[in-house]
Amino acid sequence: MFRFSNLVEALDAAPAERPFITFWIDEDQRETVTFGEFRQRTFSEAEELRQHGLKTGDRVVIIMPQSISAMVTFAAAMRTGAVPAFLAYPNFKVESAKYRWGLAGVTANLSAKAIVIDAEFPDEFLGCISLGDPSKLIRAQDHAKSPQSHGQFKNAEIRSENLAFIQHSAGTTGLQKGVALSHGAVLRQIEYLSQSLRIDGSSDRIYSWLPLYHDMGLIACFMLPIVCHVPLVMQSPLEWVMHPDSTLQIISEYKCTLAWMPNFAFQFIPRRTPNGRWAEYDLSSLRLLINCSEPVRTTSMSEFQKAFSVSSAVLQSSYAMAENVFAVTQSDNERGPATLWADGVQFRNAHRIVPVCKATAGAVAFMSSGRLLPNQKVRIISESGTTFDSDFVGEIVIQSDCLFDGYYNRPDLTEQAIVDGWYHTGDLGFYHDGELYVVGRKKDLLIIGGENIYPQDIEEIVGGHASVHDGRVIAMGLYNPNLGTEEIVVVAELVDEEELANSVALEGEIRGAVVSGLGVAVKKIFLKPPKWIVKSTAGKAARAATREKLLREHPELNAHADLDQENTSK
Amino acid sequence: MTADEQQMVEHIVELIRKPGVTINENTPLVSSGLIDSMELVDLLLRLEDITHRRIPAGKVQPKDMDTVAKMFATAERVGKPR
Repeated sequence: MFRFSNLVEALDAAPAERPFITFWIDEDQRETVTFGEFRQRTFSEAEELRQHGLKTGDRVVIIMPQSISAMVTFAAAMRTGAVPAFLAYPNFKVESAKYRWGLAGVTANLSAKAIVIDAEFPDEFLGCISLGDPSKLIRAQDHAKSPQSHGQFKNAEIRSENLAFIQHSAGTTGLQKGVALSHGAVLRQIEYLSQSLRIDGSSDRIYSWLPLYHDMGLIACFMLPIVCHVPLVMQSPLEWVMHPDSTLQIISEYKCTLAWMPNFAFQFIPRRTPNGRWAEYDLSSLRLLINCSEPVRTTSMSEFQKAFSVSSAVLQSSYAMAENVFAVTQSDNERGPATLWADGVQFRNAHRIVPVCKATAGAVAFMSSGRLLPNQKVRIISESGTTFDSDFVGEIVIQSDCLFDGYYNRPDLTEQAIVDGWYHTGDLGFYHDGELYVVGRKKDLLIIGGENIYPQDIEEIVGGHASVHDGRVIAMGLYNPNLGTEEIVVVAELVDEEELANSVALEGEIRGAVVSGLGVAVKKIFLKPPKWIVKSTAGKAARAATREKLLREHPELNAHADLDQENTSK
Repeated sequence: MTADEQQMVEHIVELIRKPGVTINENTPLVSSGLIDSMELVDLLLRLEDITHRRIPAGKVQPKDMDTVAKMFATAERVGKPR
């Protein structure tokens, strides 16, 4: 059990000489601070924030490029008792209008006392920041160049139940929701996670390219290092997406032992690194590389493992969400996540898991997200709220002592999400042999003649066709009143627009592939030119927005869609 | 159009595979939806190769990549010789 009552105490107890953050700017530039140096900078900046009138409970929004300076500002704000929140910095990958809309909405909801931006924050976005009265816009100073004494600064009195910070939950549609977390909840989560991962600050070193405005980057790769006094080697997500092979270079060079990544990165890194260079990297220092924040796919894990000869026990999985601070489950450190093969027909028709051997026709593979961390409870529930036993698929609802206090300033959303003390995740999963398996999102499910169809399964098959752009496929269900059930509609982008001339033949091939893979027929296939599918800011196909676009372009589908809406809302 | 700009235009034509679309150094690419965010990553990497400069991605905004001419101006402004 940690002896700290808040995160600032944890930071202040870190060994001063131990390296804290090594920021890998590019191949030629790195910046390093020890825990002592980092602490010193937070004192200087906290003093300055206090001079701006910041006090306990005030919100501070930080919009700075991923950097040690941004992390200093965050920790300094906590030192004053204020409640910081990182927001994404504008960048070339995010469409400007969408960024403006998100920035205006989130800053208005937080009604922050101070908004800290860096010296180069683009003027074109300043007008979108909601500045209430008496909020202040502060241009961050570079304290690395002029560290000041902290003799006079006295930490705010912070109790365990006080809010520590607000992290925003990721969403492909709608405004991001601010998840308010107390110091106590964050410390409990880190205690459970560090026990499960056997974290040792004197021998572990974490690697991260993850954004700090996301729970995986903020909790696993900033708060956990603060509390467990673990050195961290990090880089900006933008630098990473340009040069994903830098992950391999950094882990090899700094002998990192722990890292977290979302599922897509396990494919993106090997595919963006020339095969001839795979053997140059030495990842033998890695103890645990954890697949988290997206449904875990066995194919992605094995692609990474084969490319870089990583031991299968190193590749791990976890089920996590901002609303629970971070992790709910963690796979077994020794043997890695279990893979389960189940009868595909039973899974779809009866929502049941009947284990079969891998070679069985129609078998489907699931990768476990592991066992519950201490003091976490999970139930799998039906549509009507009944709790299922093991091996039945339903919505995952959770209860824990690190659950969030609510969405900041949004009691309406909080009330929808937390029912009788259980947080309804909207994720679908099942329990098997004491381990949790996550299979998809509840709202995405297609129900075709009483059979549950996971759109991801259809999309994977359609995306596997050579003429279709993999990842740019959306499968959806539209209600057919004549049949009393949904019909499957697929919209897919072609790799080459010229192939539209062969639509009839392609549709036939795609239909055939879906039937042979899943035993279900696709009613309508819409093949579209490149760039047609609507994407989220994360670059993934956005389901709801793509559906709306399809209905706009094909009004003949609308009668079905209206009934569909009515049907699902009852 | 410079030879470097011409090289980038040819690369973009190849990348977007849109028959019938004509591109020159002043054609809007991002604001018109002709290229997406992952393709921008590809274009930044190509820009580094053509200009022999390292371009810090964090200093680039969507408007800086909207036309081929703006891309080269951005490389000049924020890029470092390598």
